[in-house]
Amino acid sequence: MFRNTREGLALALPAAIFSTLLFLVPVGILLSEAFRFEGGWSLQGYIDFFATPLNRTVFLRTLKLGALVALTAAVIGYAAAFCIVNLGPKSRGTIFGMVVLPLMISPVARTYAWIVILGRTGIVNETITGLGLSDTPLRLLFTETAVFLGLLQLFLPLMIISLVSAMENIPRDVIPAARVLGASWLAVFFKVILPLTKEGLVIGGTLVFTGSLTAYITPAILGGSKVLMLETLLYQRVNVSNDFVSASVIAMILIVMSFSANLLLKKIASARS
Amino acid sequence: MKTTLSRLALGCAAAALATAAQAQDKTLTISVYSFAQDQYKEALYDPFEEICGCDVVVETGNSVERMAKIEANAADPVIDMAVISTQDALALAQKGLLAELDTAKLSNFDKLYDSAKDPNGDGMAVGYTYYASSIVYRSDLLEIESWGDLLSDELAGQVALPNITGTQGPLTLMMLDRAMGGSGDYAPVISTIGEHADDIVTFYSRSSELVQLMNQQEVIAAPVGKFAWGSFKEAALPFAWADPVEGQAGGMNVMIMTKDNGNEELAYQFMDYWLSTEVQTKVAEMQVDSPANKEVVVSDEIAENLTYGADVIDNLNIMPAADIVEQREAWVEQWNTEVIQ
Repeated sequence: MFRNTREGLALALPAAIFSTLLFLVPVGILLSEAFRFEGGWSLQGYIDFFATPLNRTVFLRTLKLGALVALTAAVIGYAAAFCIVNLGPKSRGTIFGMVVLPLMISPVARTYAWIVILGRTGIVNETITGLGLSDTPLRLLFTETAVFLGLLQLFLPLMIISLVSAMENIPRDVIPAARVLGASWLAVFFKVILPLTKEGLVIGGTLVFTGSLTAYITPAILGGSKVLMLETLLYQRVNVSNDFVSASVIAMILIVMSFSANLLLKKIASARS
Repeated sequence: MKTTLSRLALGCAAAALATAAQAQDKTLTISVYSFAQDQYKEALYDPFEEICGCDVVVETGNSVERMAKIEANAADPVIDMAVISTQDALALAQKGLLAELDTAKLSNFDKLYDSAKDPNGDGMAVGYTYYASSIVYRSDLLEIESWGDLLSDELAGQVALPNITGTQGPLTLMMLDRAMGGSGDYAPVISTIGEHADDIVTFYSRSSELVQLMNQQEVIAAPVGKFAWGSFKEAALPFAWADPVEGQAGGMNVMIMTKDNGNEELAYQFMDYWLSTEVQTKVAEMQVDSPANKEVVVSDEIAENLTYGADVIDNLNIMPAADIVEQREAWVEQWNTEVIQ
């Protein structure tokens, strides 16, 4: 496309300078704090972090909820995506628009909607007490369940979009051919659909898992201080304790978790093929 | 003659310009809490700028950010004076970041309640506002008679407590300790809260968070500072301010001056003006801060929303800032292990 590589480099240079000066350098300086201890370089910050029981609990909870949200989003996402790609053009556009619509609404508004649903006087508790299933309203807010539901609702559209894109590339005759040859729907999914949509699953899984790890508003509103996640713990470390070293350690852990999830999903996908 | 007059006029104009320029050169940089800045501008900043012929530069933020800025610029202070909690003032003083105050330069000093004159006992802080802390509750559903009611079976699953990291957290520990017998050791209190952790809806960080939870009927009782009472009073639900048998807890915010800021005279002038009966009355009437100046007189209606009057202030259970600074780290560690986890 270019007459020589210099032209290409010249065009990329402004973006590269911008990203380097305003993103990589400041983030690098901030994250380097996580390896500083008493004037030297050390992993002491990480040792101290994982030595605290609360931090270990928060780390494991973040990992567990991120994985659960990604897994549930994949299960629901495959069903929804399969349904969408098999609809007619008009219905497909309408349904796809409804899937994308929540992404256009602020996460704050979306999360507050859960308070209306899960609160003591919310729809769920009104139904439960109305049906006589419980005498008193259940405690649903400020629980892991509330955070899980909030995160799932927040990131499910990303999984569906990724899987719809992947499924649209499956040749139209492949699934009917497998069925004609006697494959059950389960076999069709695991031997045909899953291998052919693994790239979409990797992208969707990474987006949902990473999003769940780094979301702040949803765990803060639906979990509060009783269901701390790494992101809300990071905020506390900076804004309550002014402890930037600990905050940098958490930031580095989040980055490593995100990259590891992406590598792991890619490895699983390649192993299947 | 004409030339002489022209020279005179030019000289006057130059002198006037020089004075104006000099006035604009005088700048006082203050660090304050973020809330009610419009009211403070009207009652304090604008009138003071007219009096001193100077600019008041206002920096706002949460206490942690503002303390970090003072510490980061210790060698060449960018903040001249600040308002902060007594415990944060003591923490800054222990790091050698504050100047000792010459109260002879504060003409309104003698008008202050005695407990506001030197709350930390180090001569580096002077109180400008008090706040009571008690329990706000739904009067149509229950009655609160003691701080111990917060952990009662009746309130299980419907009560919120302040987080230990905020200002209200230690005050709640102190009053729960009194309800439990008053040993003065708060470790057993934290353990008791830990045992009841499942009964507590959440541990809130900001009073605005609590206002929302109580209006949504998630919570029907919680300890809170009187400064937030206005938000509850205006709500549609029937909220009441408790008068527990152990009394109300209380706290104070103070004025401090950074060490070697080079702007001490202007800072003293500003502090003195803030402590004056005129400004303290205006701020009290706006229901922004409760007065530390005992000459302030407000109507009963306004007084109801403030921590006001000698009777109230003298009976507040105020926790010494030194106790908080010395023990906060141990409390947070125990809290994280036994309550949050």
